[in-house]
Amino acid sequence: MIRLLRRYFYPSWIRSGRVVIGLLIVLAVLAAAILAPVLAPHDPAEQDLMLTFQPMRLGSPFPLGTDGLGRCVLSRLLHGASLALKVAFIAAIGAMLLGAALAYAAGYLGGWVDWTIGRAVDVWMSFPPVVLSLILMVGLGTGASNVILAIILVDWTRFCRVLRSEVLVVTRRDHVAAARLLGFTHWRTLLLEVVPATIPLLITLLALEMGIAVVVEAILSFVGLGVKPDQVAWGQMIADGREAIYQAPANLLAPVAAIFVTVAGFNLLGDGLRRTLDVRLVEGRG
Amino acid sequence: MSLLVARGLTLEAEVEGDIVPVFRGLNFALEPGRVLGLVGESGAGKSMVGRTIAQLLPPGFRVSHGTMEFDGADLVAMAPEHRRSLLGREIAFIPQEPLTALNPVLSIGAQLDEHHRRLGVRGRRTLREYALAALAAVHLPDPAGLLSRYPHQLSGGQCQRVLIAMAFAGHPRLVIADEATTALDVTTQAHIIALMRELQRASNTAVLFITHDLRLAAGVCDDVAVMYAGDIVEIGPAAQVLGASRHPYTRCLQLANPPMLGTRRALYALPEQMPGLRALARLNGCRFAPRCPVKADYCLRIDPPLEGDLHRSACLRPGLVETIEVADQLAPPPWRPAGETPVLALDHVSKTFTTGTWPRAVEVAAVRGVSLRIAPGEFVAVVGESGSGKSTLGRLVVGLEQPSAGRIALAGTDVTAGDEAARLHRVATVQMVFQDPQSALNPRRRVASIITQALEAEGAKFAVREKRVRALLAEMGMPLELGVRMPGQLSGGQRQRVNIARALCSVPRLLVADEIVSGLDVSVQAQLLLLLHRLRQDHDFALLFISHDLSVVRHLCDRVLVMHGGEIVEEGPTETVFGWPRHEYTRTLLAAVPR
Ligand SMILES: Nc1ncnc2c1ncn2[C@@H]1O[C@H](COP(=O)(O)OP(=O)(O)OP(=O)(O)O)[C@@H](O)[C@H]1O
Ligand code: SF4
Ligand SMILES: [Mg+2]
Repeated sequence: MIRLLRRYFYPSWIRSGRVVIGLLIVLAVLAAAILAPVLAPHDPAEQDLMLTFQPMRLGSPFPLGTDGLGRCVLSRLLHGASLALKVAFIAAIGAMLLGAALAYAAGYLGGWVDWTIGRAVDVWMSFPPVVLSLILMVGLGTGASNVILAIILVDWTRFCRVLRSEVLVVTRRDHVAAARLLGFTHWRTLLLEVVPATIPLLITLLALEMGIAVVVEAILSFVGLGVKPDQVAWGQMIADGREAIYQAPANLLAPVAAIFVTVAGFNLLGDGLRRTLDVRLVEGRG
Repeated sequence: MSLLVARGLTLEAEVEGDIVPVFRGLNFALEPGRVLGLVGESGAGKSMVGRTIAQLLPPGFRVSHGTMEFDGADLVAMAPEHRRSLLGREIAFIPQEPLTALNPVLSIGAQLDEHHRRLGVRGRRTLREYALAALAAVHLPDPAGLLSRYPHQLSGGQCQRVLIAMAFAGHPRLVIADEATTALDVTTQAHIIALMRELQRASNTAVLFITHDLRLAAGVCDDVAVMYAGDIVEIGPAAQVLGASRHPYTRCLQLANPPMLGTRRALYALPEQMPGLRALARLNGCRFAPRCPVKADYCLRIDPPLEGDLHRSACLRPGLVETIEVADQLAPPPWRPAGETPVLALDHVSKTFTTGTWPRAVEVAAVRGVSLRIAPGEFVAVVGESGSGKSTLGRLVVGLEQPSAGRIALAGTDVTAGDEAARLHRVATVQMVFQDPQSALNPRRRVASIITQALEAEGAKFAVREKRVRALLAEMGMPLELGVRMPGQLSGGQRQRVNIARALCSVPRLLVADEIVSGLDVSVQAQLLLLLHRLRQDHDFALLFISHDLSVVRHLCDRVLVMHGGEIVEEGPTETVFGWPRHEYTRTLLAAVPR
């Protein structure tokens, strides 16, 4: 009985250190993003040209110092988190929806559908992703929603390719054939017999993709092709911070650290989930 | 002097934190030049004996008492270097899965050379001579051509021959064959066994022959040890152990095996299964008592010792073994009027697969011009060696493959087109039971949900489904509480019952069953065959039973179709075909069955 309760309250993924640490990091960043208006000591856009490049000092009104326009670095960091996460969540989910839909179609239907989608993915993946997203941003213009669109258009292939082979394996299992023989429609078979087996992989890919989206958004903002100048973005902060690397290093180091920690959180979460949810890996360890 | 002696060998394993015995005080001796068979159901600990000899035990397993002596030296206590020098030279292994035992990226020649180098052979020309001699010794055609081939270009039987060649290359004194022929066809199995016997006699090697197949053991072994739950329950000369058993377990296993000769008698189905290691550790007295048909109260208290002279057995009431009997006649199949519309009619059906891509595409004719009729309620078997097209035929019938040519009719309706109308007609008339329940049952559905999937497809109400679950589980002889289990929590036999129940849920008129009892223990197989006989009495369905096991076919089916190279080469009533085979191929197939 105790064992049953324990299994119920502590599912296996909770017992994985990676998942717990990754989840804690992601939740912390999320809390920072949501509570930014409350936590931030200043308005992130408020300038004070008398107080430029203030050094980092705990207890002062500017704990992480100020930038070249006298804006509070900590406040900008907190507000930047909300943009980073918004882009990460929406872009990753968008890329998943597009990629997964095509992957299910290709893997389940096979034949010419599979062939066509497979070739499309091949062509798409022959462009280097960074170049492709830069081209897209030049074409689409700046702005957060365009950053999201660019990430979706570049990264759906990642979902599509990985998921397609998994769908193909599951579709070949006999219980899928049995469901058809018992009179299940294609929709039902796909939804009830194929999709559930691929959910763990999907969740894992989603977590990893969120980490990637954070980096891509930072790169685009860094080169000035990301969000509009009036929005706060970590990539932009890095670009601005380069000039004052000796006077006020926190200007550069704080956003770099923020990106690093957030991406590490998503990757730990994704990797941990992959290890605990993937039945094959679990069996392999036994 | 004996070559291999186990003295009070006790192996313990750690299972979920508890230390439980895997086997307790095992004693046996193997003389040079003799073949000792180790038989019993899966989980009896047969493989663990072989693994103890090589000290290749899974983590958590440990020899706690006793010795395993090879030529007077204890293999358990021996220094690892010493043991390594024995293994592969003095002691050789023939593994169960020939394909996984060979390195897929090295040619056969390279693997033989590597093996011979380990045995101390030097020089390129000498190595080549040795390799050719080794392949010739196992009667492989064109040895020179084989050297440059890779494992996947060889059949399972050919791979097994290569492994046997390697095993005997160092003139070992002991060969351990763990289910060495289980993965092979009957015909290939017969060849491999004959080959092993030949090599073994020529070099006076002792063989430890591990198998679950009693009939095979009877044909191959000089001595037989029967294992149950980690104990040797009976040991002695093969003819005596298998001819005049003195332990109820041996007797039950034999009665569970359908005979190839004599009358089609009923089968003895041992109830339940062997308990797991933890449950066994809690058991007092005779470990077989919970399943023993002739047990007495005192069997639950007294642990019977292995007693006797040449032929020893561990039973307190050996005199009662003879009294375990089964009906020597099968109930006749239910009577049917003649001239009904056949449930299945195939006319010149062919199926050609294209493998590889253009321009290297190869056409493979899996089924060639097959015509057949199955009457309502008739049990028909399809037999043949692997690759003969049996499964393709089954898949054509249920519509998982579309025929390249010919006509298929189910219960009088043409379904050749394979369109939506044909599919709906199929859903109502034919169902399939798949071979591998691991893959056939969705691991994320509960048993109750799996067996009523047909009702789910119709959109039936929950109450209807629940009622059907009760009825089906009862019919399958499974307790109701199994309904809430996941397939992963069932035993092999239970999974196969769920598999059958799902197919029967929609009350099909024809059931296609592909190898549904192979890979199961004889006692589980007997339970399932009994179940099929009973279902036949209560329901009105015909069966297309695909199998390579002729004795099972003889037991279950009225009529048999023999397939060879995609064609039906012979057909007729089972007794007639097996008793007076006319086609050359049927004769080879029958001759290969151990009896
Ligand atoms: N890696 C392992 N971990 C835990 N238990 C194991 C492991 N391998 C085997 N066992 C257990 O050890 C016991 C003996 O297994 P073994 O494989 O030797 O039986 P067997 O009679 O040879 O079976 P089969 O005919 O299926 O090969 C069984 O109860 C089995 O469940
Ligand atoms: S000792 Fe008793 S329970 Fe055990 S096998 Fe003999 S009769 Fe059966
Ligand atoms: Mg075994």
